[in-house]
Amino acid sequence: MPILASVKLTVVLLALTAATVLVGAWCPQEAQQGREKIIEQFGADTAKILIDCGITDIFHSPWFLLLIGLLTVNMVACSMQRVFPKLRLLKQPLPFLKGKEIGKLPVNARLPSANDASILVYVEQWLRKRGFKIKRQDNCLVAEYGKIGRLAPTITHIGLLTLLLGVTVTSWCGFSGFKPVLAGGALSFEDSEHSKLWIGKLPRWYVRVDTTRREDHPSGDPKQWYTHLTVVSPDGTPLKEQEISVNNPLSYDGVDIYQSSWGLDHLLVSFNGKPRQLDLRQMGKTYAAFLPLDEGSILIFSVRGQKTPVRIFAKRADWDAPKLLAEMTENKPAQLGAVTLRCEQIVPATGLQYKCDPGLPITYVAFGFIIIGVMLAAIPHRHVWVCMAPPPSENFPPAAAGHYLYIGGRSLKAKVGFQRLLDGLIAQLKDELRINPGDDAEKSPKIDDVVSELGKEPAKDESLAFPSPVASGHSPATGEG
Amino acid sequence: MSELQLAFTNTAGLSSVMSFWVFVASNGFSKRKELLTKIGLGVMIVGFLSLTAAIIARGIEAQRFPLANLYESLLWFAWAVMGAYLALSRSYGINQLGWIASLTAATMFLYGSWLPASQHDITPLVPALVSYWRQIHVPPLIVSYAMFFLAGLSGFIQLYRAGRLFSLITAVVTVVLALTAVMLGTFTATDTTLLQLMFAGASLIGTVIAFAKLDTVDKARVDIRGAELYDDVSYRCIAIGFPLLTIGIITGGLWANHAWGTYWSWDPKESMALVTWLSYAAYIHLRIHRECSAEKLSLVAFIGLLLTLMTYLGFNSLGLGGLHSYGKFK
Repeated sequence: MPILASVKLTVVLLALTAATVLVGAWCPQEAQQGREKIIEQFGADTAKILIDCGITDIFHSPWFLLLIGLLTVNMVACSMQRVFPKLRLLKQPLPFLKGKEIGKLPVNARLPSANDASILVYVEQWLRKRGFKIKRQDNCLVAEYGKIGRLAPTITHIGLLTLLLGVTVTSWCGFSGFKPVLAGGALSFEDSEHSKLWIGKLPRWYVRVDTTRREDHPSGDPKQWYTHLTVVSPDGTPLKEQEISVNNPLSYDGVDIYQSSWGLDHLLVSFNGKPRQLDLRQMGKTYAAFLPLDEGSILIFSVRGQKTPVRIFAKRADWDAPKLLAEMTENKPAQLGAVTLRCEQIVPATGLQYKCDPGLPITYVAFGFIIIGVMLAAIPHRHVWVCMAPPPSENFPPAAAGHYLYIGGRSLKAKVGFQRLLDGLIAQLKDELRINPGDDAEKSPKIDDVVSELGKEPAKDESLAFPSPVASGHSPATGEG
Repeated sequence: MSELQLAFTNTAGLSSVMSFWVFVASNGFSKRKELLTKIGLGVMIVGFLSLTAAIIARGIEAQRFPLANLYESLLWFAWAVMGAYLALSRSYGINQLGWIASLTAATMFLYGSWLPASQHDITPLVPALVSYWRQIHVPPLIVSYAMFFLAGLSGFIQLYRAGRLFSLITAVVTVVLALTAVMLGTFTATDTTLLQLMFAGASLIGTVIAFAKLDTVDKARVDIRGAELYDDVSYRCIAIGFPLLTIGIITGGLWANHAWGTYWSWDPKESMALVTWLSYAAYIHLRIHRECSAEKLSLVAFIGLLLTLMTYLGFNSLGLGGLHSYGKFK
């Protein structure tokens, strides 16, 4: 069906996908931020409407999946019908155009010239110095620049299709998850997340958190988080050890484990030797534990890091602010009246992210294709034709030197730069041919004229609509594809 | 911030303001147009070189790649706008874009100067930013945003030269309203829901009106050659910006995978960058569509400008942060 391969459908689908992703960017997504965040942001009633409409999980909604499916079909159809066949065109030789055909090109000039082959040699060398590849036949030549740029849409489309393949493999075979683990605790993969159509398997080995720590800047801000991990087999044999940090994960058996977050989890204190665990909450740069004493008063334990003293505050309902009572460390207890408070341990928790992504190599190859494709798209594809010939008919004004040198070209990207390039060549040719301003030279139009002329061309992207004139059977001046 | 760095930054800021006024004056004095344009260009070159020196000085002082917060990204953005304009001016010999480019750079300097001292000061990096990926991922994005801004602004000149004054005025008012929402979100405690509505409402209504009135032409002002020239400039900017945005998004995915184990997590800013990418992908496909006029393409570039503004500055200032909230300071 032609509509499946149409550019109009591509644009409509891209616009609809962009609008859908925009809604997903605006509305917090349950998968990333949890339902509580949505209720907190919009209130219970609005949140319910958003949840019922699927907006809070829009990237898994049938609508979004339909759009991605249609885009894939459109891209495959378009690639098969128009993009990939262009590869064949690359092998086809460019035609040698004669004077009349060159005169139809967007940028062209006609200079009176003797029938002297050295002029064509001069043009050939001039263009070759500027990166053009030249083919010569009798008194004509054709020059091409940036042919590789024509591969841009093909490579980009291959990259996008490869990306879809990689994402599919990951979705069917991969798993991932996040778990905060206390020092001495273990990470296993039973609670991992994976898609409904999953055919992968979970590893039986687990990871033990030996130690975890935070390194600070002199200002007290966190500089880096470290966790020492040991991979342990089901029978307890250590298989691998590594200290991970942010941007420095552990990889084992296809599973990567990342340092994702870090915090202080709880405080172990003793009151006259009687132990008690106090859960810590992050309060900006510090952590605090709260111990109610009675209805109107509370003890607050404030701690900044694992090695810093624990500060003990008291707060009563009728006080404006908490009052500092004492400080304690693991070696130095605090005395509050008859009670001796000792800090036994400040226990940190490390946030570990893990994933197994079998589709990743395919995805990385796709990334490579896409980057190469879009970079090639910036290379302008240019053609120059030159032909030396006698006047086409008796009615034509005779050239003083007997022949004419026809020169013309086209470039649908960076048109002004191309115009300047050809202007330079024509000016130098005039010097070579010793043509004075009053002579019988049909001058190349000014930049503005050419820009105006180029604008009339129906196809505007050379990489997608710039076939060989012979192959298309159209005049090269139309740029038809 | 050292005295030297401050001096370079201030020189660059003042140069952008001065070049703006000189370029504006060049439009008013036709007899001295060429001279004034050359002066404006010269002042812009001084500003560009000063800003280059300021960024290098900041990097040396901070002992790290100087692109880690909103203020530093604004310096890079202004640098890219000035550099891109100078390159375009050399290739195309265009002057009209000069006053808009210098106005954009001056606005970014002003925006940056109003940020609190904590943004101007060199502060240690948070753990997530301590990676060589930062200098690979962020610069292409900032430069692509600058190219998209210039593409949108070239589209404005294209609309002017094509006599589409009604659509042009609507588009300009829309961008001003969107920028105002971003400014209010950055510097005041205005309710972010209101600002989101202001940004989205203005964008939606402005876009609809601009498209609806595209057939209203002031024929006395039509300059076809100029319109086609600026259409080419706009396309050139997008042709450079699009690969850079693609590289920025992909390297961001590679970094995220290296740091967190997932190359895509539908974070709001990631999603917004994808929206921007999709919009420019649509532009490129529209470009090969033979029925799409240059004026429509200019309006698509204007939509792209709004999306770029939202991606770059809107998400943090309008309260939609997510993982990429390093630029946030409130």
